[in-house]
Amino acid sequence: MTGLVVGLILRAGVVLTGAALATFALLWHAPGDPALAIALARFDTVVPAAVIDQLRAEAGLDGGFWQAFLAWVAPLLVGDFGQSSVTGRDVWPDLVRAMSYTLPLALAGLLVGLIISLPLALVATRRPGGWLDRCAVGVAALGASIPAYWLGLLLIMLFAVRLGWLPATGARTPVHIVLPAVTLGLGVAASFTRILRSGILDARAQPFLPAFRRRGVACRDIARAHVAPHAAIPVVTVFGLELAFLLEGAVMVETIFARPGLGSFLVGAIEARDFPKVQAVVVFSALLFVTFNMIIDLIYRAIDPRIGEHNA
Amino acid sequence: MTLDTVSLSLAPGRTLAVVGQSGAGKSTLINAILGLVRCSAGEITWQNAPLCRCRPAVVLQEPRSAFNPRLSLRRSVMEPLAARRRTADPARLEKLCDGLEIAPALLERRPAQVSVGQAQRIGILRALIAQPPLVLFDEPLSALDAIAQKQTARLIADLQREEGFAALIVTHDLGYAAACSDDIAVLRAGRIEELSRTEAFVAAPETAYGRTLRNAAFALGALEHAA
Amino acid sequence: MTIRATGLSGIRAGRIILHPTDLEIRASERVGLVGPSGSGKSTLGHALVDRLRQQGRGVSHVPQSPDEGLDPLRSMAFHWREAARAIGVLPDPAQQQALFSALGISGGNMRDRPWGWSRGMQQRFVIAMALIGRPELLVMDEPTSALDPVVAADTMDLLEGYLATRSTALLLITHDLGLAARRVARLMVMDQGRIIEDAATAHFLTAPETHVGKMLCGHRNWRAFPC
Repeated sequence: MTGLVVGLILRAGVVLTGAALATFALLWHAPGDPALAIALARFDTVVPAAVIDQLRAEAGLDGGFWQAFLAWVAPLLVGDFGQSSVTGRDVWPDLVRAMSYTLPLALAGLLVGLIISLPLALVATRRPGGWLDRCAVGVAALGASIPAYWLGLLLIMLFAVRLGWLPATGARTPVHIVLPAVTLGLGVAASFTRILRSGILDARAQPFLPAFRRRGVACRDIARAHVAPHAAIPVVTVFGLELAFLLEGAVMVETIFARPGLGSFLVGAIEARDFPKVQAVVVFSALLFVTFNMIIDLIYRAIDPRIGEHNA
Repeated sequence: MTLDTVSLSLAPGRTLAVVGQSGAGKSTLINAILGLVRCSAGEITWQNAPLCRCRPAVVLQEPRSAFNPRLSLRRSVMEPLAARRRTADPARLEKLCDGLEIAPALLERRPAQVSVGQAQRIGILRALIAQPPLVLFDEPLSALDAIAQKQTARLIADLQREEGFAALIVTHDLGYAAACSDDIAVLRAGRIEELSRTEAFVAAPETAYGRTLRNAAFALGALEHAA
Repeated sequence: MTIRATGLSGIRAGRIILHPTDLEIRASERVGLVGPSGSGKSTLGHALVDRLRQQGRGVSHVPQSPDEGLDPLRSMAFHWREAARAIGVLPDPAQQQALFSALGISGGNMRDRPWGWSRGMQQRFVIAMALIGRPELLVMDEPTSALDPVVAADTMDLLEGYLATRSTALLLITHDLGLAARRVARLMVMDQGRIIEDAATAHFLTAPETHVGKMLCGHRNWRAFPC
């Protein structure tokens, strides 16, 4: 068990290092002089070359790629995300504030997705190939193919403009989260429904189930003790991938609904060429992603220990 | 599973049966002969040249999954010829089909559209089409029922007499091994435990383990005590 | 107490695979159900078990391979408790111990999942589960074909030893007349969804009446087939 956790952490370290290096290299080689961009963002006017050079030194940009990279990564290891190159303020508190809007949205989206997909998949698999099943598969395909920005606008037009039931934009009250969460959740529900449905159908086709029935085990017990765990395996797998979708979707949905959060944080930082902020977002998302997948790996092994055996 | 200094020899036209329990290394042996796993030491030769140059053919255990499900059986059967850049000889195909009791129309079907027994005979046809000097049989009968097993074994033996290929049969069925081989090698935990002439082995195995295997075959009715 | 079932039948995909069939098995009788593959043997076994279960009779079924009898995600202990609960008996450690030592699996760790045990042990565990309720009839479907011969022979011997002192009847379903002939006193022959012969083993082996019966007898062991 200890060896397993150490292995997972080592793997996470490799992924995180790769993510940090790739982001930094991309931004480093982006066209244009980053020091000039900082100067423009900070002073909003023409700046003498001496000031630009001073900014370059201040941001640690004058010593070449690796020196700049190390100057950024070393404090990261103790949790210091650095200072905004534009405002000079610490990035971390701003990032936390942005996440305090985005995380609830992502979780609400996940919840909406589960609330829709679980009953839908259960109803659909009651009679595979029946009309309910076809409807569910159709709804799932529709949900997967509607882009969030279009769906969001439709929901705004219906519930905010036409009916006036829900607020359209902003994040002042808890009710403000409803429309963005539904927009995000419908996309999640689409993929979850498909995975759950095929997971349940595959689990029901397991070759050992007839023997349990013949042994006299009640149908309900078979469903609970033998079908459900097998159906859960693909769902848990997809959960990890879904996190990426949720973060990415949340950024887009936030922009549509003009919500503060990671979306506006990132877009603002990119427009101002505020590299420390952009890097902070990427590294933080990578960290979230890696942690989440590590937890899923452990859940996975708890359900089906054979998976661990194969790796060993 | 590993093999530990296994030495076997097989002359053209002869049949060697390798028997043993699950996990004894039977599949590893087949894979090593086919060159699918590399041996850490030792060599496998055919007439003083590396064995893979003679291109041994193989007949697998699960007949239907041994074919590409999307191709007609005829295409699959012709593949060994295509791999050697040779064209099909219709007379030879007809003769083999005759010998294996395969109706030519069967070859136009897909693997899922024939019975397991038919599929296995077509698998043997594919193995023999390019006239390999050595054919490996990996549990060739275990998917068949008792009657089809004996009929198929008879067809293989008749063709072997005609074509003169050497056969290496890996099986857990000592009854089959006893009926169809010249020599029997007992494989246990990656080692050859015993290597005997078949009649001698059936009459009196030299090792205790050989006796265990033979007695199990008696207990399951695969072998019968001489009357 | 004699077991009787009438009008057992089976249809799959619109085709009759089991014509209406009546069966009678006496207490502690050993009966074999043999026939070529696709003759409807397994279907008859399933139909018989399902019918007797509906009637509330004590009957158990052991599928061909442990993969068809055990959930790889659940521990052996879970399987055992569930099987006991399903037939409404309280788990009885003494009986479990007796069954396990009779079948030679006392050494197994009940907290393991099935794949932590060897296949032979898994199969014996499935047999032990089938015997929890002291059934009137035990139906075994090809009990040896998924195991290697040494393990299969041991398992059959141990089971026979256990059943010898009890009134549980045994229905052995197999394509292999050689196996059935060594293990049962009465043979039923199936072909194309019908029981076409039903005779004492010794009588059947010397004087089979039907074509399929003659085929089975003629192909029952390898000694008649020197290849």
